Amino acid sequence: MFRSHNVATRIFDRQISSPAPGSAVHYARRFYENLVPNYTIYEVECPDHLFRKFTEDGQYLVCFSRNHQKLIVYRPTWLSYSCKGDCTCTDLPPKARRFESFFTQLYSVSLPCSNELICKDFFLYMESNRYGLFATSTGQIHDATPVGGAVLGVPSIEKITFHLLRLEDGVVLDQRSFHHDFINLAHNAGAFLYDDLLAIVSLRYQTLHILQIRDSGNLVDVRAIGTYCREDDELFLNSHVQNIHETTVACFHSGLKQRLLSFIFRGMWNEETDPTLRVQGLKKKFYFHFQDYVDLIIWKVQFLDRHHLLIKFGSVEGVISRNTDLHPAFFAVYNMETTEIVAFYQNSADELYLLFEQFYDQFHATSRNSYTMNFVSSHSNNMHAREQLRCVKKKASSSLQFVKKMLASLPFNCQSQSPSPYFDQSLFRFDEKLISATDRHRQSTDHPIKFILRRQPYTLKFKIKPGPEAGSIDSRTKKISSFLFHPFLPLALSIQQTLYLQPAVVNIHFRK
Amino acid sequence: MTTSSASTSTWVSTTSVSSSGKRIQREMVELNMDPPPDCSAGPKGDNLYHWVATIIGPPGTPYQGGIYFLDITFPGDYPFKPPKIVFRTRVFHCNVDSSGNVSLEIVKDGWSPALTITKVLLAIRSIFTKPDPYNPLVPSIAHLYLADKVKHDELASEWTMRFAK
Repeated sequence: MFRSHNVATRIFDRQISSPAPGSAVHYARRFYENLVPNYTIYEVECPDHLFRKFTEDGQYLVCFSRNHQKLIVYRPTWLSYSCKGDCTCTDLPPKARRFESFFTQLYSVSLPCSNELICKDFFLYMESNRYGLFATSTGQIHDATPVGGAVLGVPSIEKITFHLLRLEDGVVLDQRSFHHDFINLAHNAGAFLYDDLLAIVSLRYQTLHILQIRDSGNLVDVRAIGTYCREDDELFLNSHVQNIHETTVACFHSGLKQRLLSFIFRGMWNEETDPTLRVQGLKKKFYFHFQDYVDLIIWKVQFLDRHHLLIKFGSVEGVISRNTDLHPAFFAVYNMETTEIVAFYQNSADELYLLFEQFYDQFHATSRNSYTMNFVSSHSNNMHAREQLRCVKKKASSSLQFVKKMLASLPFNCQSQSPSPYFDQSLFRFDEKLISATDRHRQSTDHPIKFILRRQPYTLKFKIKPGPEAGSIDSRTKKISSFLFHPFLPLALSIQQTLYLQPAVVNIHFRK
Repeated sequence: MTTSSASTSTWVSTTSVSSSGKRIQREMVELNMDPPPDCSAGPKGDNLYHWVATIIGPPGTPYQGGIYFLDITFPGDYPFKPPKIVFRTRVFHCNVDSSGNVSLEIVKDGWSPALTITKVLLAIRSIFTKPDPYNPLVPSIAHLYLADKVKHDELASEWTMRFAK
């Protein structure tokens, strides 16, 4: 179908024709082909902050001060400036080329107490209440002294605090601290927010803390999964056994491990009906690897829905090393209401990969209320993304390696994708190595990143170029860039940093 | 043979344990040929002396539906000394203490080198069907078993649901 690139014509088209049933949003989003952030203000004069994220509703831009002490929140306004005299010239007056012309500071608050610092990679946003969750922590101790119940080999952090803030005015509503524990805060990896439920993975104590964020702004403990499964297991045990203390806890497999071991055992037991063959099979497949199963630790978790958790298990060595490919890993689906393991897979399982390929969006469990997040392109909702996946699959040298690589992204990091329509692969084509909806730092080149129309006339629609307009003088230094796209406005920030502690180069991309 | 003392000592140690090792191996073959009901066991990794056993809670008992894991450790002078049995799954039972130790006559004073791992597994399974409240490790549970069996079974089955599923 031919679509005009004249805005007025498209608005007229939109008025007279109605979209196919169920495609209203997709249809409306096509209008973004005409409204693109094709103008760049290079090296914007702006405060030296660490820019973190636009919230999903587009109301807030969350930043941290460079000394990791303060949270600064801006309201994205559209370009507004005043100038004296002749403003009719095509170029913006120098006064308008400032960060403050686009963003209004709402507040700046000090988060950490005593010697904690803000974790710049952590921020979760609760859409329904417009609450933000932030984390502060003290430094890491690598050779932590072993304590009862703690996993050996996992580093320790003296204190980690989560702060629940009302984004509207920056008032801290509640806090929750973890002491001598280790929670992976980078890229939200160690915490997952689903609706009002928050899962926090304590790596050191191997506990999944499930908290609820109440409408009143309180963090309430729902349950802790690990040593025990049900919320009243410990209480139940205390009322029936006189001398339950740490030494007796260590005698037994933890609650979750018992569930896991018995699930694996049951599967193998039911697989074979002949008693002799069954015992032989168990000997080879279960008992031989028994200690490996016992030694598995929880690495990461995500919600699949309000009851089911996808838990990744692996070895202690794997959790600290960056290259996790070498270490075997397993996935379990756990129902925290019935306390049952529902499924268990190795990270090379074809069966899990097929689920991942066909029902990818189910793994990206986003809040029910979240509207925009449902339109993030993926290979299960977008044919271009699917085609791309097929290509990668075809090129892969071994199917096993490919499956492992794909499944390595599970469980997903919470809120790691930008809902911006400019990342909609049915609208635009771009190099995913340089830019994508996934919130990540990328190595930056001096070439602008091109966004090309996916449909006729397949033309270049706009470019995003991080860094100085003329390119950097020293092309050898490694540059890292990150991109923050507004969820629905044609507005984006690109932040380029060299590895040295120089201030970042911030560009504003918008539609003039 | 001219080898260092270190390799000699390993050579010596393997010969000295091999008689017990051979015996354990023979028992393993025997167990695999004729496994007792609801029971299975096997060495952890390649260590013949450390086994894991699994007992499925027998139907008709309050332990039904539970999967019980036990550690079995064979001493170096097996079969002259009995294997050590420890529950690694919590169980509400008068013959199993709060650390998982089990009081079983045949792996204590009643041990005889003629007994095998198959017999031991059968004996453990039988404590699920017939607890021995007269030689208890946990007197309070034994007392409850004798005084109010219905209450005892209710609690035992609640433990099974909570800790042995």
